[in-house]
Amino acid sequence: MNAVAEASRLVIDGMSRSFGETRALTSASLRVRPGEIHSLAGENGSGKSTLIKILSGVLRPDAGTLTWEGDVRKHLGSPSGAQGLGIATVFQETLVAPEMTVRDNIYLGTDRLFRYGRRKGEEVAGARQALGYLGLDGLGLERPMWTLSLAERQLTTIARAIIRPWRLLILDEATSALDAHHRDRLFDYLRLARSQGKSVLFTSHRMDEVLGLADHITVLRQGATVATMAVSEASRRGILGHMSGRADIIEVISAGPGPDGAARGDPRRRPDAGPQAGPRPVLHVAGLALRATSAPITLEIRAGEILGLAGLEGQGQVEFVECLAGLRRAASGQVQALGEGGQARAVHSYRGANRLGIRYVPRDRRHEGLFGPLSVFDNFAVTLWSDFNRLGLLRRRVARKRFEEFTQSSRLVSASPGRPISILSGGNQQKVLLGRWIAMRPRVLVVNDPLRGVDANTKEELYGLFRRLAADGVPIVFLSTEIVELLTLTDQIGVFHEGSLVAMLPTETSSDTDVVAAMFGDGERGASRNGANDG
Amino acid sequence: MASAVSGRARPSALPRPAVRQVVRRNSYGAVPLALLIILFVVNAAVQPQFLSQQSWAASMAVLCPTVLTAMAVTLPVLSGNGGIDLSVGPLAGFMSVLIAAVLVPAGITTPQLIIPIVIVFGALTGAINGLLVAYVRLPAIIATLGMYLFYQGLGTEVLPEAGGSVPVWLVKLNGSFGPVPAVWIVFAVIALIWTLVTRGSYPRNLLAVGGDERAAYTAGVNVARLRLITYSIAGVLACLAGLMLTGLIQSGDGTVGPPYTISAITAVALGGISLAGGRGGLLGGALGGAVLFLIQELLTDAHVSVFQVSIIDGIVLIFALALNGTVEHLRRRSPAARPG
Repeated sequence: MNAVAEASRLVIDGMSRSFGETRALTSASLRVRPGEIHSLAGENGSGKSTLIKILSGVLRPDAGTLTWEGDVRKHLGSPSGAQGLGIATVFQETLVAPEMTVRDNIYLGTDRLFRYGRRKGEEVAGARQALGYLGLDGLGLERPMWTLSLAERQLTTIARAIIRPWRLLILDEATSALDAHHRDRLFDYLRLARSQGKSVLFTSHRMDEVLGLADHITVLRQGATVATMAVSEASRRGILGHMSGRADIIEVISAGPGPDGAARGDPRRRPDAGPQAGPRPVLHVAGLALRATSAPITLEIRAGEILGLAGLEGQGQVEFVECLAGLRRAASGQVQALGEGGQARAVHSYRGANRLGIRYVPRDRRHEGLFGPLSVFDNFAVTLWSDFNRLGLLRRRVARKRFEEFTQSSRLVSASPGRPISILSGGNQQKVLLGRWIAMRPRVLVVNDPLRGVDANTKEELYGLFRRLAADGVPIVFLSTEIVELLTLTDQIGVFHEGSLVAMLPTETSSDTDVVAAMFGDGERGASRNGANDG
Repeated sequence: MASAVSGRARPSALPRPAVRQVVRRNSYGAVPLALLIILFVVNAAVQPQFLSQQSWAASMAVLCPTVLTAMAVTLPVLSGNGGIDLSVGPLAGFMSVLIAAVLVPAGITTPQLIIPIVIVFGALTGAINGLLVAYVRLPAIIATLGMYLFYQGLGTEVLPEAGGSVPVWLVKLNGSFGPVPAVWIVFAVIALIWTLVTRGSYPRNLLAVGGDERAAYTAGVNVARLRLITYSIAGVLACLAGLMLTGLIQSGDGTVGPPYTISAITAVALGGISLAGGRGGLLGGALGGAVLFLIQELLTDAHVSVFQVSIIDGIVLIFALALNGTVEHLRRRSPAARPG
């Protein structure tokens, strides 16, 4: 082995992994040394989670090599294989068996099929010690897991990792539910382990954690490693710039020549900014606190406005759109639809939201929106039947007309509306799904990451669809995990961090770096046109 | 209860927390245990001869296949992800055909030969179920329904009319050795094997996989292999049930088995076991089987017709599931269960 490999605990080189059409990792590389804490940074969808799943043995890569303490491997086989090598992982989701006790959950997977890995006394002592490191000395080891708070559960999954004989500990957003005290205890433990020559690889959505804890940082973007640097040499702006990758943006936009052609040139501007003469507010969000601990959100959404929503995974943006759609109750505050005369009616339920004309397009189209075996037309028309029927008999002709209107305006290429929707491409399925809601003539359209997995050309067509809708005066709340998309389509971008709306950025004057900075809780410009509270 | 999974008190541990642990780990069994005691008392009160020596032995003999098939179904149900084994009934019934129409005519009559053959047969059938569920990833309800139909058909194909002869020792298993019902010895042997299996980490792995498959997998449990083993054990238990059933009916009969699938599933529900997996203990099915048997005993004593018994079985099944749901709901809401 060469000198580099010897001084390294783990080297990843040229690693790639695809899921069907989606290329989650294209060429990731990473080097973790003994006795260092290494941060893995990147936006949503940059490939962090995929890489971590490969390193923990859950996934196998398509290509690339993994060198663990000098041995080159293609993959780690299974989670128990990875653990056998000394790699322990804490996953983003708190994965626990709820009916089992704390001790059983901590020692989960350490047994053979029929033989315990350790004596009960050893387990008790080991669990006590691990929980002690994490500041949970008093936790009853025989308590069933489901009686624990979220933070306690998360700490238990960390304890599960650290009782194993690890030399590399991987923490994927493992501090998201922890308060400052427990987080500090965890960090003390990690620093102690570092001083013993162990290695830590972690991801965090908090920039201050990254800068305060890590020795080195590796930045992933669109599945590839774009930078590796010592934290002492890195600046916040530098890291954020690598994550957002300014240079790539123009490339992506010009790659898809849209039918409108207007997106070109200046990607920041919508071609039609909608009626400017003081459009009336349609939706009023009054002091909405998503969680007990989050700052209340107050804002107005005006006719013709496209409001973008951004945030890292699980920061509250999804909860917010679900509140708008009446699918979820906030900790406090309410959402009101404003009528023509300004009368306010609160949204209490999904049915209520629908009656008020608030239409929600869910994120997971296969599970939440599409009826696979039904035809294209039936999928389109399913929401219309409640309106288009006479004495319970369906008025197919009216629905047909709407469908024709829609296929023309959206350039939906469909051989026959009678064929099952499952034969359409993902992009066309998404068009039908959007069309279903647009055909209902919504008063407000709320969309949750609607263009995920849609190819560039279809994306452009759908941008056009959204823009025409906004030009007709329909406000759109557009949640997206792609910042480029938000900058292309929206008027302003609300950024969520830890359950609060921390920034409201006017798209015209904001850069992708501003958005990323706010996503990592680093927003210097938490300006709020509509009075959004600064977290 | 003997189903204490692993929380056995150590000499050094204080007794009270240890007792509390055992109770907590087996809380699912509270309702079926209470039902069992009530029904036992009611039976004894209504039928004076219920507690007599002879009746006792006969009851245990009739109870035995029900309890064993219920225990067999319990395991796949606990393993979660829609796990179930519908094939236990026909498989048990097929044992009577195998013994009376195949093994005995071939001159295989000694327990030393028949018992291992039955066990291996069960393990192999269970392993096929397990392979289909854990590796081919068929839904358990479909895979084991296929096996159900297969053995139902095979039983009547091999032996179109009930008949054949069974070894004497097998019949004796349903009688008495002096004052002791022979079934007790069978139960003791099964309890011994059971204890050996459950003393180790198997229940912990099983409940983890049933509770959250991904948590178990990422923690390092070999989920697929655990399911394979689980269905194999279920097959062995079903075939042991078939062995006892053969002694009970004293002949081969391909049609006697299938109803045991339904009674086993009812027993699992009565035993406080979540059909979603991960909650419940290994002996819940046995308790449920005993409860179901006592209900039927009571109905038989009241001269209720067979059809009405079936109606009442249906009501009992629905009642048991509703009760499970209610108990679970109350448990989650109890102040002691609050996070904190």
